[in-house]
Amino acid sequence: MLLCPLLAQAVLLTHPVQASPQQKNTKEEFLAVPGEIGRPGGRLVVALRGEPKTLNPLIAVDTRSREVIGVMQADLVHINRATQLTEPALAKSWKVSPNGLEYTLVLRQGIKFSDGQPLDADDVLFTFRVYLDESVHAPQRDFLIVGGKPIVVRKLDAQTVVFQLAKTYGAGERIFDGVAILPRHLLEKPYQEGKLGQTGTLATAANQWAGLGPFRLKEYVAGQRLVLERNPYYWKTDAQGNRLPYLEELIYLFVQNADAQVLKFQSGETDVISQTGAENFAALSRQQHGYTMTDAGPGLEYYFLFFNLSEPGEKTPAEMRQKQKWFREAKFRQAVSAAVDRDAIVRLVYQGHGAPLWGLVAPGNRRWGNEKLPHPPRSLDRARALLKEGGFSWRNGPDGESTLLDAEGKSVEFSIVTSSSNANFSKIAALIQDDLKQLGMRVQVVPLEFRSLLDRVTQSKEYEACVMGLASYDADPNVDMNVWLSSGATHLWNPSQAHPATAWEAEIDRLIEEQMSARTFEQRKKLYDRAQEILAENQPMIFLASPDILTGAKNSVGNFHPAVLEPYVLWDVEQLYLKNGAENATR
Amino acid sequence: MNRRSSLAKWLVVLGVLHGVVACAGFFAPYDPTAQDRKSPYLPPMRVHLVDTQGHFHMRPFVYSPRLREGTFDQYEDDSMEPHPVTFFPSGASYRLLGFLPCRRHFFGADNARIYLLGTDAYGRDQFSRFLLGGQVSLLAGLLGAGLTLLIGLGIGAAAGYYGGWRDSLLMRLAELFLALPWLYLLFALRAFLPLAVSPLQAFFLVIAVIGIVGWARPARLVRGVVLSAKERDYVRAARGFGASPGYLLRHHILPETYSVLLTQAAILIPQYVLAEMTLSFLGLGVPEPVPTWGNLLASLQHYSVLVSYWWMYLPALLMVPFFLGYLGLASSLQAREEAYKIEGWSPGSLT
Amino acid sequence: MRYLLRRLGHAIFLLIGVSILAFLFTTLAPGNYFDEMRLNPRIAPETVAALRAQYQLDRPLPLRYASWVNSVLHGEMGFSFAYNSPVAPLLLSRARNTLLLTVTATLLAWGIALPLGVWSADRLGRLPDAILSWGTAVLLVIPDLALALGLLVLAVRTGWFPTGGMTSVDFETLSPVNKFRDLALHMTLPVAALVLSALPLLIRHVRAAVADVLDAPFLLAAQGHGIPKHRLLYRYALPAAANPLISLFGFSIGALLSGSLLIEVVMSWPGIGPLLLEAILARDFYVVIGGVVFSTLFLVSGNFLADKLLYWTDPLIRTESSGG
Repeated sequence: MLLCPLLAQAVLLTHPVQASPQQKNTKEEFLAVPGEIGRPGGRLVVALRGEPKTLNPLIAVDTRSREVIGVMQADLVHINRATQLTEPALAKSWKVSPNGLEYTLVLRQGIKFSDGQPLDADDVLFTFRVYLDESVHAPQRDFLIVGGKPIVVRKLDAQTVVFQLAKTYGAGERIFDGVAILPRHLLEKPYQEGKLGQTGTLATAANQWAGLGPFRLKEYVAGQRLVLERNPYYWKTDAQGNRLPYLEELIYLFVQNADAQVLKFQSGETDVISQTGAENFAALSRQQHGYTMTDAGPGLEYYFLFFNLSEPGEKTPAEMRQKQKWFREAKFRQAVSAAVDRDAIVRLVYQGHGAPLWGLVAPGNRRWGNEKLPHPPRSLDRARALLKEGGFSWRNGPDGESTLLDAEGKSVEFSIVTSSSNANFSKIAALIQDDLKQLGMRVQVVPLEFRSLLDRVTQSKEYEACVMGLASYDADPNVDMNVWLSSGATHLWNPSQAHPATAWEAEIDRLIEEQMSARTFEQRKKLYDRAQEILAENQPMIFLASPDILTGAKNSVGNFHPAVLEPYVLWDVEQLYLKNGAENATR
Repeated sequence: MNRRSSLAKWLVVLGVLHGVVACAGFFAPYDPTAQDRKSPYLPPMRVHLVDTQGHFHMRPFVYSPRLREGTFDQYEDDSMEPHPVTFFPSGASYRLLGFLPCRRHFFGADNARIYLLGTDAYGRDQFSRFLLGGQVSLLAGLLGAGLTLLIGLGIGAAAGYYGGWRDSLLMRLAELFLALPWLYLLFALRAFLPLAVSPLQAFFLVIAVIGIVGWARPARLVRGVVLSAKERDYVRAARGFGASPGYLLRHHILPETYSVLLTQAAILIPQYVLAEMTLSFLGLGVPEPVPTWGNLLASLQHYSVLVSYWWMYLPALLMVPFFLGYLGLASSLQAREEAYKIEGWSPGSLT
Repeated sequence: MRYLLRRLGHAIFLLIGVSILAFLFTTLAPGNYFDEMRLNPRIAPETVAALRAQYQLDRPLPLRYASWVNSVLHGEMGFSFAYNSPVAPLLLSRARNTLLLTVTATLLAWGIALPLGVWSADRLGRLPDAILSWGTAVLLVIPDLALALGLLVLAVRTGWFPTGGMTSVDFETLSPVNKFRDLALHMTLPVAALVLSALPLLIRHVRAAVADVLDAPFLLAAQGHGIPKHRLLYRYALPAAANPLISLFGFSIGALLSGSLLIEVVMSWPGIGPLLLEAILARDFYVVIGGVVFSTLFLVSGNFLADKLLYWTDPLIRTESSGG
C-alpha cells in the first residue's frame, strides 16, 4: 500500500499544448479524473455558516476559513473523500524508501498558479519551510512533526522533492493531504519581512493572491458573500480532456445559522446544502420542489459528554474540587454512561438519521472501528448499582423525588455547558439532564457561545461537564491524535498535560505513538483496538451518537456525490456542473 | 359610574386569569418537565364525543397517537381504543400556591396522556408548560414592576418633598436612566452577570435587572404629584400645626400618588412580562427545563418548527388575553385619573 | 439660544454619564476578559501586548475608562476581540443597516399614524373611531415577538418575500432599479413588523392630542369663518396639538437604533441588534459598551432634536426661556 499509488483512481495523461495560447514550451501534465462529463459554465451558490476570517492557510484555524481555502488551494497528495484512499494530486507519483523514512515525490510538469506563475520544487521547499518555521505559528506545523522532529525537505531537481522523516509514519503519504502548496513569488517577500500574518486577508486584491485550487478569489463583500471564479490554469481535466472546473463561479453566502441556511436553500437562493440537521432535513424532504435531499450515510462525527478532570489549581474553588472528586470516580462516569438514553438521542435529535455511539470511531469509518467493543443497552439499574459501588447513596425527598448523595452526604449537582450555536447540543444536553434526574442528580444546562465555550474548556478550565462534538476529517486514526494523546490540545477532559495524569492515559499514549510509526495496517489496527478498549473501560468521554451526513442539492446540479468526509458536498467541486444551462435563477 | 364598572370588569378578568395561573399546578394535567420520549412534536389532541363507529359517548374522550410507519414525527390516531377524559385525577405532585403539596389535577385522561396543545421536541405537554410558564413570566413581571415602583416612589417622593439640590441631583440621575436604551441596558446587564446560574437565581436576577432599569419614569411622575400635593392648602395648614414630614408624607402626600402608581403598574407589568419573554427567548433569561413564556416561543426560531409544527404558536395566542386585560385595566385607570383631575378631587385628600 | 446651548450641554453630560455607567457594569462581570483576548490564536502576541498597553487593561477602572475615551476620540471606540478589529467601523456599518430599516419604518409609521389619528379624532366616539380603537388595541396586545414570527411564517408559506438577510446573492450584478427592488423586498417584512408594533401607540397619541385641541374656541371660530374641514384639521388643529407629538417624535428618533433589536435578530437583518447579541454571548465587551453608548447618542440626539423643534414651534417656550 505504501509503495505504489493506487492506479485505479488516476490515469496520467500528458496533454499537448492546446489549452491556452499563453502556454510556453513546458508541456502541462494534467490529472484526468474519471466521472461523468459535464458542461462548462454556470454559477454555484453555497451558504457558509459564518464568515471566514482569512484566506491564508498559515493563519486559518477556524472551520469557515478552512472550507474556503480548501477550494482555492491544492496539495501534493490528496485523499479521495469517496474511497477514503490516497491518490496523486500535484505530485504525479511518489516512492517510499525501503526503510520507510524517505518519500520522493515527483511534481507534475508545467503547472501554474492561478495567476499564471509556474510551480516548481522551490515553491514546495518554500512552503514547507514556512509551515515548519516556529515563528510563523502555522497550525499545520504540529502535523508535520514525526518522531519528535520536523520533516526535512530537499529538492533533487526542479520537479522532484525528497521528504525525510525521523521515524516511520504509519499513515504514509496521507500526511500530505490538506497541506496547501504556497506561491513563493507572492509570499517570500512578506515572509522575509515577517509580515506573513498580514497577507491573505479577505480584503486582499484578487490579483495579489494565488493558489493551485480549482477556484481563485474574485470578490469579497464584507458581511455578505465571497465570490470565487474559475481558475483558468487548473491542472485537472475530465476523462475527455476538458480542463476543469466546469463552473465559472463559486459563491459563498454568509448566513448566521443553520435555519437561515435552510431557508435560503428552500427558496432557491443556494444550490447545495450540507449538514442540515435532522429536523430541517425532514422538513425539506417533505416538499422537494426542484431539489433532492440525500442521506449520505453515517459520517465521522462523534458527540460526547465529558467531565472536567483537569488538575485543580490554586484558584480552583472548593466546590469545584468536591465535584471533581465525583468526576474522577470511574464508576460515576460508567454509571452516567449506563443511564444515558442513546436511542432517544438518535430518535429525538437526529430523527433516526444517526447511530448510537459507544466509542470514538464512528460507523462512517469503515476500517478502523473495534468490532469487539461492547455496546451495553441503557440500564438505570446497572447505573444505580455502579453508583452504589462508587460510594453514592440516595435520600428520598418529601415530593417523592430522590436525590443522589456522595460519600460525604452532599447532593450531586453540576452544570453541563454546551454550544449555543447548534440547537442539537442543547437538545442532547436536555435529554441527558432528564436521564440523570432519574438517578437523582440535579443537572443544569448552560448554553454558551462557541468560542467562549472552547476557551473555558481548553484554557481556563472553568466548567464542570460539557457536551461537544468533534469530527474526524480523515478516516485514519492519526487525525485524532490530539484527542488521544494526553499532551493533546483536544484531549478535552484534561488537555495539554505535561505528563499523563493516570496510568491508563499513559498506556493510551504509548499505544498511539506506536501505531503512528507501525508500518502495516494489521499492526496499527491491533494497537488502535486496544486503545479504544481502554477508553471504553474508563469512560473519560461518554460517547453518545454520530449523525448521518444529510445533504441536498438542486436537481440542476450535476455530478453531485456527497461523501462522509469533509467537505461533504464540495469535495469534488471541480466536477460539479449545471445541467441544461440553468443559470441559477434565484427566485 | 361607568368608569368604575369598567375598572371592575377588567379587574375581574385579570383576577380570573391570574387565578388560573396561580393554581397552575392544579389546572395543568402534567409536570411541565416530564419528557414523553415516545411522543415528540405531537399535534394538539382532539377531544371527541362521537367515536369512529358513530357511537356517542357521554364522556368526552381522546385517542392515543401512534407513530406512522417509517416516519419520526407523523402521527395517526389509534382509533380502536377511546380513552375518556377524567376529572380530578391524581397525578404528578406539585405545590399549590407554592407551599401546599397536592396531587389532584383538574383533568386528565384514563390510561393515556391528553395533550391539549400538543407536545414539544421532548414530548413535554405544551399546555402544562404554558400554565406553569405563566407563573414564572407573570410573577417576574409583577415583582419587577413592584421593584421599579418601590424605587420610583422612594426617589420621586424624596426629590419632590425635599426639593433643592437633592431634587436636581435625583432628576438628573433619572434623566440619565431615561436616556439609556433600556433593551440594550437589559442585555448588557444580563451579559455581564454569570451565565451559569440555577433557574431560581436566574429568575431573581432577571427580576432585579428588569426592575432596576425602569424606575425613572415612575419617579418623575411621583415627583410631580408630590410637588403639587406639597403646596395644597391643607398640607400647609398641617405643617403650620407642627406635623412632622413623616406624618405629612404618610397621611397626606403619598396617598395622592397611589392612583399614579396603580396606572404605572398596569402599564409596566405587561412591559416587564415582555422583557422577561425577550430575555428568555434569546437564551438570556430563565434556563431550561423551567418553562417560561419566552422559552415556549424560543423553538419557533427554527425554520423546521415554523414550517412543520404550527401548534407551537398557540401559546402566543393564549397570552393575548392577559395583555388585553392589562391594557383594559391601564385604560380604565387612566380614564379614571383624568376624570378625577377634571373634577378637582382625589381620594387621598379626604382622610 | 442659551436654552439650546443648555440643552446641548445637558446632552453631552448624559452621554458621558451613560458611558461611565456602562463601564461600571463591566466590573460586575466575573472572570477576566483579557484572558479571552490572549487565547484567541488569530491575534498575534505582539498585538495582544500592544492592545493591553493601549487600553490599560491591567489597570484599575478609571484608567481603563480614560483610555477608552481616548480611543473614542481617535475614532476607534475600543477593540473587538471577536472580530479582531476596532469597534467603530463595525458599529458604523451595522448602524447604517439598522437605520435603513428604522428610518423607513418611522417615516411610514408617522405617515400612517398622523392622518389616521386626525381622522379618528375628528369622528371621536363614532363607529369608525371605535373600530380603529379596537384595531389598535388588538395590535397592542400582540407581543412584538409573536408579530415578527408570524410575518416570518407568512414569508415561508407564501414565498412572496425573502426570509431573512438584506440582499440577494447577485445583488452587485443587478441594475440600479433591480437593486432597489431587491433591497425593498428584503426590507418589507422587518419594516412591516416595526411599523405594526409602533403604529398603535402613535395613533392613540395623535388621536388624543388632536381630540384635546378640537374643543378649543379658536377652532370653533375658524369653523364659523367657513374654513373647510380639511384645512381646519391640518393647518390649524394639528399644529396646535404639536407639542406632545413633537416630544413623541423625539422619542421615535431616539429609538432609531435600539428599537429594532428583536426584529433584526428574528429576521436575520445584519444590523446592530445581532451584533450586540453576539457580542454579549461572546463577552466582547467593548462592542457591547460601544453599542450601548452609540444608541444612547441617538436617544439623546432625538430628545435634543425634539427640544429644538419645540423651541421653534412653541412660542411659550421661547418666551419662558428668554424671560428667565
